[in-house]
Amino acid sequence: MLKHRIAIGLAFALLLSLPSAYAQKATEIFIPIGASPGLSGEYTKIGPIEAASALNQSVTTSDPSGSYTVRVVEGTKVWLDKSKMKATSEVGGFADLLAGRTVEVKFRDNDPDNPAEWIKVQIAE
Amino acid sequence: MKMQRPAIPGHPRLLAVLILACTGLMGLSTCKPPPIPSPDDALIARGRDLFFEETFDGNGRTCGSCHPAANNFTIDPAFIATLPDGDPLFVAEFNPDLEENVENPTLMRELGLIVENQDGFGDLENDFNMRGVPHTLGLPISIESRDGPRTGWSGDGAPGDGSLRSFATGAVVQHFTKTLGRVPGVDFRLPTDEELDAMEAFQLSLGRQEELSLPLPLKGTIAARGQEIFGDVTLGKCSACHSNAGANGDPNIFGADAGNLNFNTGVEDLPDQPADLTDELVPPDDGFGTPGNGEFNTPSLVEAADTGPFFHNNSVETIEGAVAFYNGDAFNNSPAGQLLVGATGSGINLDATQVVEVAAFLRAINALENIRQGIELLDSFASRKFLGNEKFDQLLARAGQETDDGIEVLTAGGLHPLAVAQLRKARRLIQEAMESRSSSETLARQAIGKLENTRDDLIESQ
Repeated sequence: MLKHRIAIGLAFALLLSLPSAYAQKATEIFIPIGASPGLSGEYTKIGPIEAASALNQSVTTSDPSGSYTVRVVEGTKVWLDKSKMKATSEVGGFADLLAGRTVEVKFRDNDPDNPAEWIKVQIAE
Repeated sequence: MKMQRPAIPGHPRLLAVLILACTGLMGLSTCKPPPIPSPDDALIARGRDLFFEETFDGNGRTCGSCHPAANNFTIDPAFIATLPDGDPLFVAEFNPDLEENVENPTLMRELGLIVENQDGFGDLENDFNMRGVPHTLGLPISIESRDGPRTGWSGDGAPGDGSLRSFATGAVVQHFTKTLGRVPGVDFRLPTDEELDAMEAFQLSLGRQEELSLPLPLKGTIAARGQEIFGDVTLGKCSACHSNAGANGDPNIFGADAGNLNFNTGVEDLPDQPADLTDELVPPDDGFGTPGNGEFNTPSLVEAADTGPFFHNNSVETIEGAVAFYNGDAFNNSPAGQLLVGATGSGINLDATQVVEVAAFLRAINALENIRQGIELLDSFASRKFLGNEKFDQLLARAGQETDDGIEVLTAGGLHPLAVAQLRKARRLIQEAMESRSSSETLARQAIGKLENTRDDLIESQ
């Protein structure tokens, strides 16, 4: 009886406190576009920005599978990948999502219907 | 499944030459052909070489700098004190580019703490965590959870997909860099997919591959009582989060697939933490996530007694102190402690004798694991079986280290003097085997016998 009570109590509280994702973002900023282990080539999309809408807080990009629009929300991290310039990558913002720039997009929960979790923007010069 | 070593391959004439060379010039035991690895073992061996030798074009550190095999794949102040000043672990002391904001040499040497920028690299002077180094033993049975793998102290140690495979990429960025610029291709190179596969295979091969099945038929009365308290849902309550003394939640409580769990157990609220007693800046560690939610993941306890200090910030030195932590206000007022109070009607309140008994149980199962690993290493040497995660010429030394750990773990708890005497005999035989040219295999087998005797002193035959 006691064990049953413990089980219900602990399991319920655990459900309330479950985090939703486990990858850390801190070092991701220094990993170049296309090199994120276990994500790049499998769960992210890489391609040029076709258009950016500040009004809608979204960017339209394309990859070999076609065009897609990505929502940029408050929690979305934008990183400036300067590895091709042999410079330190930096934190960026929506204003850095300019047409023509190559980006890598990771979606929340790896679902393309969700907003972007992070976007890496290639800064080549 | 490991592939059996085939008979000596090659041409018969070559074989005859080999035998002649062996018997005439060296000693039989040192001239047998090297063991042949299976494909899985070859991948593990490749991962081992990378883990201990590959610097990824960085500051000289390898994974083994913080996870040395000789010290149970972790570091502590006593081990750190044995390293030469030029060891890459100390890059912050001799590399001008890394003098600031990479490590805190004082806290590293005194408390075994390293810098982690878990919440980002935007404010290196003020925004960092000081954490101990978790060992990498028993990972196949300690990092899986319902929501994916949990790596590092807070369960979110790896970039990319958050897997153990990806962990090395983040470690290279954090710990291997030549400068604070952290530019790939300049300050380090990132591991390739092939290297990540191999290092993952190596790490997964280390230590236990399966859970204990408690209760064990322990012979020691103190350890046996400690095991009872450990599993008693009205007393120790330990097994709720450490099922079978491992790193996973009790499936009867949290569900069959709960696996490893994160909790805020209040360690950060401990008064008089050693790091806080220094003059060094030690920001609060917010645990999982950015910003953190204060939670850290549950470590396995089987390997605990010889891998202290304890908790994510090395705040407690002894296994007895780690058990006693759960009696205190820091735990009982924490979210996890309150969860326990809500579910069971009370917190944890063990008397001193009971604290020592639970610790004795943990010491006993740690010693049994030392013995298991020692036998495995010696058997691989004596039978010339390929063990991918250890170089053949290191097998005896590693068996010696495991035996030393077993002696220390039991002796420090005043436990099982007869078993300790057996372990000392095994240790002497291992040393003799290391020094012998002609009878090392025989001596290794004799050492296995002593370790088996020791095991029989600790536990009823199963």
